[in-house]
Amino acid sequence: MSQSLPFGISCKGGLNTNLNQFEMLSNPGLATQLENFEVDSDGGYRRINGFEPFGSTDATRPNSTNAILGLFVYADGLIVTSGTNIYFTLDGITYLQINRASVSASGDNYSTFTGRSVAARTSQSQCNFSFYEGDSQYGELLITDESSASKPFYFKMTGTGALSNRTYYAKEVTVSGTVYPVTGVIHNKHYVVSGDSNNPNTIYYSGTNDIDDFTSTGSGSIKLDDKVIGLKSFRDDLIIFCKNSIYKLININDSSTVAIVPVTKNVGCLDNHSIQEIAGDLVFLSPDGVRTIAGTARIGDVELGTVSRQIMSITETIANSIDSFVVSSVVLRQKSQYRLFYTVSSDIPSQAKGIIGSLTSQGFQWSETKGIQATAITSGFNSNGVEKTFHGDDDGYIYVHDSGNTFYHEGSSASMRATYETPNYDFGDFGTRKNINYLKISITPEGTAQPVLRVRYNYNDPDHPQPNDYTLLSVPLPATFGESLFGTGVFGASNDPMVRQAVQGGGHTTSFRLRTEDSNPPYAINGMYIDYTPANRR
Amino acid sequence: MATTFLQLCNEILREVNEVELTSATFDSSVGVQTHVKDIVNRAYSDIVNEEPQWPFLSVAESGATDPMYGNVYVETVAGTRWYEMKPASSSITTDYGYIDWDNFYLTTVGVSGESAPYESRNLRHTTIEEWKDYFRVAENLDDADSQQYGVPSRVVRSPDARNFGLSPIPDKVYRVWFFAFNQPTKLNLYTDELVFPDVYVPVLISKARYYIHQFNDNAQSAAFSLEDYKRNLKNMKLHLMEPDPGYFKDDRIRFI
Repeated sequence: MSQSLPFGISCKGGLNTNLNQFEMLSNPGLATQLENFEVDSDGGYRRINGFEPFGSTDATRPNSTNAILGLFVYADGLIVTSGTNIYFTLDGITYLQINRASVSASGDNYSTFTGRSVAARTSQSQCNFSFYEGDSQYGELLITDESSASKPFYFKMTGTGALSNRTYYAKEVTVSGTVYPVTGVIHNKHYVVSGDSNNPNTIYYSGTNDIDDFTSTGSGSIKLDDKVIGLKSFRDDLIIFCKNSIYKLININDSSTVAIVPVTKNVGCLDNHSIQEIAGDLVFLSPDGVRTIAGTARIGDVELGTVSRQIMSITETIANSIDSFVVSSVVLRQKSQYRLFYTVSSDIPSQAKGIIGSLTSQGFQWSETKGIQATAITSGFNSNGVEKTFHGDDDGYIYVHDSGNTFYHEGSSASMRATYETPNYDFGDFGTRKNINYLKISITPEGTAQPVLRVRYNYNDPDHPQPNDYTLLSVPLPATFGESLFGTGVFGASNDPMVRQAVQGGGHTTSFRLRTEDSNPPYAINGMYIDYTPANRR
Repeated sequence: MATTFLQLCNEILREVNEVELTSATFDSSVGVQTHVKDIVNRAYSDIVNEEPQWPFLSVAESGATDPMYGNVYVETVAGTRWYEMKPASSSITTDYGYIDWDNFYLTTVGVSGESAPYESRNLRHTTIEEWKDYFRVAENLDDADSQQYGVPSRVVRSPDARNFGLSPIPDKVYRVWFFAFNQPTKLNLYTDELVFPDVYVPVLISKARYYIHQFNDNAQSAAFSLEDYKRNLKNMKLHLMEPDPGYFKDDRIRFI
């Protein structure tokens, strides 16, 4: 039994905290830990990008240390809610407060607008944004927040160039008396709101093509059985996410046939801020994990599916403490990714967690984040058609999301710890003790990368010899003709180098962990080749 | 500095690509590491068992008390026949590992109150059978009657291997010198050093490799290691045990 044998794995399948160790052996590419990595839709696990201050080195906070409560990419800038205020910024350096009262219906110029009194957003908390494209230059925006202490806030801006050359429209929208909805959505020419603390079961919809008037033609309200958590327009229907059920509103433009149709009474939504649309489906966080509402071939029909069974233990943790978490989510369209972040506001940013669902040909594949505290996050196309993604934290900072190589905690740069851990491989024969000779790890660097390898035998048995960590040889960035700068790449380096690392020890099972904790550029781990020697059957 | 137990273990662990020990982890070794510690001691015992008179096991340097040959002595008591070879030992597990029964020497040199002319003679080893057939009865009767005793001229090994007996029974105090070898001490601490020169470390290593390859079900490598061990041990014996010129001794002429 002295001849060495090969074992190869391709990194695919993503994080799986659900399967037992033996089940995982049939999918050796799965990860038992995949922190601050993302599943690359083209294969492999890629360390995620970091994030950078919006405004770079000149970045400022809009409202001191007040947490960021909402972000929305609007026009050529960003709408920010923080404290009891709402701001607009072009650059993350200067902020224009836009929650003004008594703004002229025909719009204010800059000086008039900034001279108006402030319409404080009482007890403002996490915000929801509803965008109505309409026929205006940048569209119209409606803002509600979870406190149910303020009316929806309407904002529109026209003009280009400096903010001083633009025209501003702002007002509070009355739904009905003191109805203060917490959530809203634009659906089929109507602004639909719900979640008022005194009428949590009622949805209100505005007049047709009249999003700021709930008394005009086409407006109305409907009462449901269940407390409304969130609203989302999906194809011709409005999906109403309730606490323990899901409905859809159909035929909103036909007062004679408008109706509420139940989708399910077994599944509800845990948090309004988890609802996103990705690849034509709605995704939301339910008590049993992340679910989708997908359209079917039949007109008007939808189907519910669960897509996060692989990370059931994580979603259970979120669900069990949902009331203590601030939840935010976003879809990164270019990566086909759904990202959901959850944090306890009293936690330090480095402890904040999240999950990343990458949509692949095999469905959603998951990974985790740690160190991204996103009390608000948004991704959208600005007026130039460029996708912009931002997030804000509990300390009032705003960051360009998914950019750069580091994290920022409380405004200061922090290295990012990324960890990928494999299942415990038995190499096809659990009973035989195997000596591991060496690994060849396929890495695609985007700069210099130097992961640290940890090998653990027999399920990390403390009564079994475990080797020290191995720092891999530095993996250089290959120089590409026409692209690389002198001194930043290595001539002759491979695009996907195989890094060989001799290791010691052996056991009945072996797991490998690759970790970096630095400020180096991302890299992708594509797979591993393991050379081992069967030893004995003791 | 001689090779330490830690170095020996790590050489074996490296051989089979296992996790090496450090001074910090040595005491808390687990699994195959502990097995390697065991087999190093087993290999050491195997070497010792091959030849109990290894010079490195000698109790003391020979001739330390010039001009006596032998490295241990026991003083007799008038009228006492049997003496423990290692009085400080309580059982055979802590006795000397080997005694050179052909090298017992009796003298009054060094005995308190003795002066020249001294008594001095070799003690001939006599088997217990010969002694009981020809000497025991007479000496016992003398002991029980007139107690004349005498100057011992024979040494007898007790069947339990813990005592030597003198014949005749000593009539006064003598020093009986002999050559003794210690039992091997198991290597225990990571700083424990081998008692033989480093040049013979491969002997121990090859036998330890034999065991570790057996542990790994690697019969072929185990066989190779055993061959290495045998060849190396042969050389070790040759160099440490038989460096003298090869003389034949034939003293039959004395009886002609």
